[in-house]
Amino acid sequence: MAKNNVQYSKKQRRLVMQENIAAYLFLLPFLVFFVGFVLYPMFMCIYTSFFDATMGREDIFVGFENYKALFQDEVFWIALKNTMVIVLVSVPITCIFSLWVASAISKMPVAATSAFRCIFYLPVVTGSVAVTMVWKWMFNNYYGIFNYLGKDVLGILDKPINWLGDPKYALGCIILILLTTSVGQPIVLYVSALDNVDKSLVEAAEVDGATPKQAFWKIKWPQMMPTTLYILVITTINSFQCFALIQLLTSGGPKNSTMTIMYYIYYNAFKLYKYGYGNAMGVILAIIIAILSAIQFKAGQEK
Amino acid sequence: MKKIIALLLALVMVVGLCACSVSKTEETKPAETKAAETNAPAETQAAAPEAAPVEISLWTYPIGKWTDEATVSALLADFNAAYPNITVKVEYLDYTNGDDKVNTAIEGGQAPDIVMEGPERLIANWGAKGLMVDLKDIVPAGTYDSIISSCTSANGEVYEMPVCMIAHCMAINRDVFEAAGALQYLNEETHTWNSVDDFFKAVQAVYDAGYDYVGTIYCGGQGGDQGTRALITNVSGGTYANAEHTEYTYASQENAEGLARLYAQDGINFDTAIVASDEIQNFVNGTFQMAFCWNISQEVNNADALGFDVLPMAFPSDTTPSLQGGIWGFGVFNNGDAAKIEAAKTFIKFMTEDDAQYTKAVEATTFAPVRDVDGIYATNELFPEYSLLSPLMGDYYQITKGWTQARTEWWNMLQRVDASDGSVEAILAEMTAAQDAANAAAAE
Repeated sequence: MAKNNVQYSKKQRRLVMQENIAAYLFLLPFLVFFVGFVLYPMFMCIYTSFFDATMGREDIFVGFENYKALFQDEVFWIALKNTMVIVLVSVPITCIFSLWVASAISKMPVAATSAFRCIFYLPVVTGSVAVTMVWKWMFNNYYGIFNYLGKDVLGILDKPINWLGDPKYALGCIILILLTTSVGQPIVLYVSALDNVDKSLVEAAEVDGATPKQAFWKIKWPQMMPTTLYILVITTINSFQCFALIQLLTSGGPKNSTMTIMYYIYYNAFKLYKYGYGNAMGVILAIIIAILSAIQFKAGQEK
Repeated sequence: MKKIIALLLALVMVVGLCACSVSKTEETKPAETKAAETNAPAETQAAAPEAAPVEISLWTYPIGKWTDEATVSALLADFNAAYPNITVKVEYLDYTNGDDKVNTAIEGGQAPDIVMEGPERLIANWGAKGLMVDLKDIVPAGTYDSIISSCTSANGEVYEMPVCMIAHCMAINRDVFEAAGALQYLNEETHTWNSVDDFFKAVQAVYDAGYDYVGTIYCGGQGGDQGTRALITNVSGGTYANAEHTEYTYASQENAEGLARLYAQDGINFDTAIVASDEIQNFVNGTFQMAFCWNISQEVNNADALGFDVLPMAFPSDTTPSLQGGIWGFGVFNNGDAAKIEAAKTFIKFMTEDDAQYTKAVEATTFAPVRDVDGIYATNELFPEYSLLSPLMGDYYQITKGWTQARTEWWNMLQRVDASDGSVEAILAEMTAAQDAANAAAAE
């Protein structure tokens, strides 16, 4: 309060102004990129969603027609359902599994912790195309390792399963691959969050007779909430934006069983050149992600 | 010190402003002056074409070895020896992401000057959108008219200078067919099946010999869908599109019956997880005994991996087989730069006019030439065998409007058929739904 009443001299005001200008100048390169590559595309996405926009001709203003068509599009609803299934399955599993692994490895010697962190982080730094191709080989109907193990080694399969070609299994396979590439970052974050927990509080609780379980949930978990919130938001967004796996493995099939909103946006915009329609879907996806992220933030703040 | 820096900054700003105003002055020169200036060098260029350096871009899809850097560099070296003023920057595309790259470039106003592909993209897609340059002036009159007609749009403009062509065929593992006693059902001389019935008898014989995966109707995506289209329309004697290329016609009783027969046949499997490249791989490694997506390029590219004798075959038909053709050549994007368009045409003429250079350009594709050239593929052992199938090339219906959507509808239809009970009625219903969607796109 007292600070507000301080009277600056002319020289001081000039210095403050110079500092502000310098700060803005430092920010300028980032702002240029932010405006050019984030704000402008966002604006164009919303703007174009009101047009019948395609290649080689002028855009035609259609108002909310793209949105109306979207809600009558059967494949869009299938894509939305599949996307929600991916999010609802992969986000909790990613968070719980990452927390479990992080808790287990954080108690290990430093070398072992580092080794496990590296192992779990490998799929994140490996090219997604390479990872996907390996999984494609493993799921192969004719000579994949899963069919080999199930049929020839364990004898639990009568005949090979076409994992990626059967609507019953295809989405599950996609989720499994997504999980393996998603857990790396949360594990690293949780390990460092566990390291940063105030040890004196844990020791005090233990002295007062708290069990390890109580110490975890009452002392450690609240201190890890910001990390958990971050992981939840990032994993949710990544799950919503699952694209490369679908593109490389199933093209949304069989029978649209792995069609996601991201892939359907790509298909409409870049295969059929329905830019306006694709952008309308992009806007809907952004709204859904924003709402879910807001809910997650709100829930996180309350806790 | 501060004053000196301030003075320097002011100086930089003033110079900057002057520079801006100079550019502005240049930009706002009257249009007539600019036109006059542009015309003058053009006349000079006509007199001395080597004078003005031009840089053009060439984007090539994987057509034989036209994405092999050493091969393309050699071709460009020939060109640059004759036209040192024209620099050609090459970008190699693939069929997975190539369209996305080109479309993104078009949207960003950075389309390549030359693109090497087929009429389904150059005519039916980018040409139909008014993005291509009419190449009528460099197409030699009266030669290979039937090929040129496939490269001509509905408005009579030629958007592709054809270089090579191929009749896509199927192939069988001759060793396995011989061991199964199935060679009696086909003619090795003409590379045709005796009849559709004999094709099914051959499949059954190979299946009975212990091969579960004789042939596979792959439908995991659109890659190589020409194979499944040709198989079904030949087996049934049906059509895919009308002769005018205005609408799709595959939802017919005969096509549904043909597909139902394939569906019911032992050894013919549907696989919704693989595309043609996977099928080829499975054929080459001996898992499948037939490939429905095959041509000479596949045999050349997989020569080292093939452990058996490949017999290229026409698709089974009770009449004359109608093979799905592929034509590839050069198209020029209209980027609004007359000098670049002229340079692009010069490049195309260089690659296609002179017999010796044309032979090199075609041999790099591994496919057949679109016009007669003496001595081409003189040392290639496979070419005579595959060239027997070229006369069977059927209607080039890929230039029907709405082609992109039609392709998607086709493989999705096959996926739904796989999940159906395989009855003619169910298949016809799925075909009709797909055809309606494709025709709706064609009508847009």
